[in-house]
Amino acid sequence: MTEAPSRRTKGRTRAARVRTTGGRPKPHTRRAVGRSRESSSRTSGKLVRRDRSQLEALTSTLAWRRTPEETPSTPPRVPVRKLHIVMVGWEYPPNHTGGLGVHCYELCRELGRMGHRITFLTPFHGPFTETQGVSFRWPGRRTEGEPPVPFAYQVTSGPAEPGWDTSMNSYNDWVGSLAGLKEVDVVHVHDWFGTRGGVALSRRMRRPLVMTIHSTEYDRTLGFPGAEIREHEAYGLQRADRVIAVSRHLKQQVVDRYGVPPGKVRVVYNAVRPTPRLERLRDAGVIVLYLGRLAAMKGVDTFLRAAARVAPLAPAATFVVAGEGPELPRLLTLSAHLGISDRVLFLGKVTEEERSLLLAGASVFVLPSVVEPFGIAALEAMAAGVPTIVSKTSGVAEITENTFAVDFWDIDEFASRIGELLQYPELRRLMGDASRWEALKAGWPERALETVGVYVELLDAAGSRP
Amino acid sequence: MKIVLYLHLHQPWRLARFRYVDLGSGRPYFDVARNLAIFAGIAERCYRPALTRLRDSLARFPEFRFSLSLTGTFVEQAEQAAPDVLDLLRDVVRTGRVSLVGETYYHSLAFLLPAPELHDEVELHRRMLRDQFRVRPKVLRMTELAFSDDLARFAESERFAGMLAEGWEGILGGRSANHRYCSASAPTVMLLLRNYRLSDDVGFRFSARGWNEYPLLSEKYAHWLASSPGDLLGLFMDFETFGEHHKADTGILDFLAALPGAVAQHRHLSWATVDEAVDGRPVDTISAPVTISWADQQRDLGAWLGNDLQRSAFEAAKKLGTLVTRANDPELLTMWRKLLTSDHFYYMYVGGHGADQGVHQYFSSYGSPYDAYANYMNALTDLRQRVVKRLAPVDA
Repeated sequence: MTEAPSRRTKGRTRAARVRTTGGRPKPHTRRAVGRSRESSSRTSGKLVRRDRSQLEALTSTLAWRRTPEETPSTPPRVPVRKLHIVMVGWEYPPNHTGGLGVHCYELCRELGRMGHRITFLTPFHGPFTETQGVSFRWPGRRTEGEPPVPFAYQVTSGPAEPGWDTSMNSYNDWVGSLAGLKEVDVVHVHDWFGTRGGVALSRRMRRPLVMTIHSTEYDRTLGFPGAEIREHEAYGLQRADRVIAVSRHLKQQVVDRYGVPPGKVRVVYNAVRPTPRLERLRDAGVIVLYLGRLAAMKGVDTFLRAAARVAPLAPAATFVVAGEGPELPRLLTLSAHLGISDRVLFLGKVTEEERSLLLAGASVFVLPSVVEPFGIAALEAMAAGVPTIVSKTSGVAEITENTFAVDFWDIDEFASRIGELLQYPELRRLMGDASRWEALKAGWPERALETVGVYVELLDAAGSRP
Repeated sequence: MKIVLYLHLHQPWRLARFRYVDLGSGRPYFDVARNLAIFAGIAERCYRPALTRLRDSLARFPEFRFSLSLTGTFVEQAEQAAPDVLDLLRDVVRTGRVSLVGETYYHSLAFLLPAPELHDEVELHRRMLRDQFRVRPKVLRMTELAFSDDLARFAESERFAGMLAEGWEGILGGRSANHRYCSASAPTVMLLLRNYRLSDDVGFRFSARGWNEYPLLSEKYAHWLASSPGDLLGLFMDFETFGEHHKADTGILDFLAALPGAVAQHRHLSWATVDEAVDGRPVDTISAPVTISWADQQRDLGAWLGNDLQRSAFEAAKKLGTLVTRANDPELLTMWRKLLTSDHFYYMYVGGHGADQGVHQYFSSYGSPYDAYANYMNALTDLRQRVVKRLAPVDA
């Protein structure tokens, strides 16, 4: 009986590997920083050896302590004239992987709907998902009849590779000296990659600079930041007129680690778009889902260890790991080592359609991240009505109450929460319903308004009230 | 006008965190040390100072009298955490001017379970009062002041002379709560009703700075009592009102100490215990086809059985009852009954109207209703496994 599923697992793995390495280097591999793998094993080794009280202390330093409500950012009360925003971006759908691409797309979409104009700069070639009010510009040229000339940016695994800084520098040079922009109101840069260009552009045009930070280099490397990237982040964060962080936890990091005055930082959370409710598949309490990149910061090993703990108590359960990333080989080895290869399915990268189906059929969603500045995946699962377990340190835990929030190191607690949700259908149903409501309570229109609020603050200060 | 002051003392056995992975591990369900620590804290802030003040008032004002109810779980914890509180209670009961009220030992929702569970628990409680205080209760109160026609019939069959109930418009139909009534279904059972406005003025609003009557002083309150129409005034509240729900720095203990003196200023006001108050003729009958309680704005059982989590947990506990009875093991029976305590279900409450949600959260020791439910169900599932094992021993 155990033979067949394990073969299936193996087959999946091979397929996933082929997809990861084959074809054109994809933009999202940017985050697959070479160092992260070793630093993670270093870190998790340390974590395992620590005793519980140390771990609790660690959580309390990492987790945002719920404080009396702090308004993230105030939407403007008066109508705002139509703005022209130059967004110095990175990834954009359809080729995106993390929260950054989603955030940019949804933000631009809502801003466009409100009538604002966005010039979206990106180092990658289109075509991008058509968005009302958004025009894309990227370096390089299209040649008639030939495939687009690839831009110098070719990096697959970050600063470790030769040519990395050259391509980044050329993008930033291009941004900084961009011509033909008219009547710009705000320059808005996302994350570290384009900070130098964004700063140069805003200075040249004498327009305020907003920087949205989606995660810091500390998050991505579990506390072992690469000096170069950290520099780029610090450069942007310190020079931006306003910083937008996607959670209060992240805001605190920006303040503590980059010395940004708290008064300069606003919090604008991510959101999910309401989708037509996909009919829940027969909820048999079987599928426990992890969906996301397989990176060290995501704590997928905790998911597997919790699965191993609860598997004997829930003989019908199947644990599904959907997504790809540098941790895959280690996770495969781990699941074999834990003796649960026949209970875990590694699906590799999934399409949008597969994603919706997985969410429709999942009984439990787990986001076990060690570090998670926000965690859109959890919000999407909630919006699909899937009861969700998140780690206390995730940004999404700040705005959700209808989830189980667990210390990222507490394998027994993850196992118990999974077991409880599988075992008690009433709990699953009530939490699932409440999750959906909670996830959709505030959507992208609200978040976009909050962002406009930040622009208006700056334009007000500059005396050019829109 | 007779004032019937009745105070309810209760502490549940709160569950320890019993994780799903703890199933079958033999870990205890109840965190005794934590419960006793909580009890000791409340004894220090509330039971000890408030009972001392009441005892002093009994000594100073020969007219002063009141009534108490003590749950079995309260007494169990008091014995271990603060035996001097039991001595104080014995002191006041010994004056003969303090009545003790009957109820279920475990402060449970046994009235929703098949007979004879309710009888057994009320009997257990009666035995406890006899052993601890040499008292036989004359008046019955159900958990959370639940009342219905069926419960009145039960009280009659158990030979109680009266019952306590909420003075709620739903059963009064325009009549005043400030009289002695009797049950329509069991006319020998007198009903003493809670005047919820005057009771909640102390119980809920005393320390509310936004309240337009803040601060409430004993003279003003006595004046309100004196100007109320009727002949009986039921002031029923949690004992923990005095020093715990409202902490000492709100002045609540001084209020309690000063109240008998302030009442003495009004010639037509006097005090009565519940045992005394049920003696006499009723002005009318009262019927409650549906169970009412003293909780929340709705005064129904919604606080305990209002949502699917609560109902499914209670159903699971109820179902286990038949197995527990068959297993015939006193230890398992006790554990099951401790799990029937209404507080467990109260913690699983979701939503509700502003004020009510706040009250629920105040009492809960869990982060969320889901936590409360999952933890409860784990303990219940574990108990079920033990009961099943007992019923069908493994063949050697």
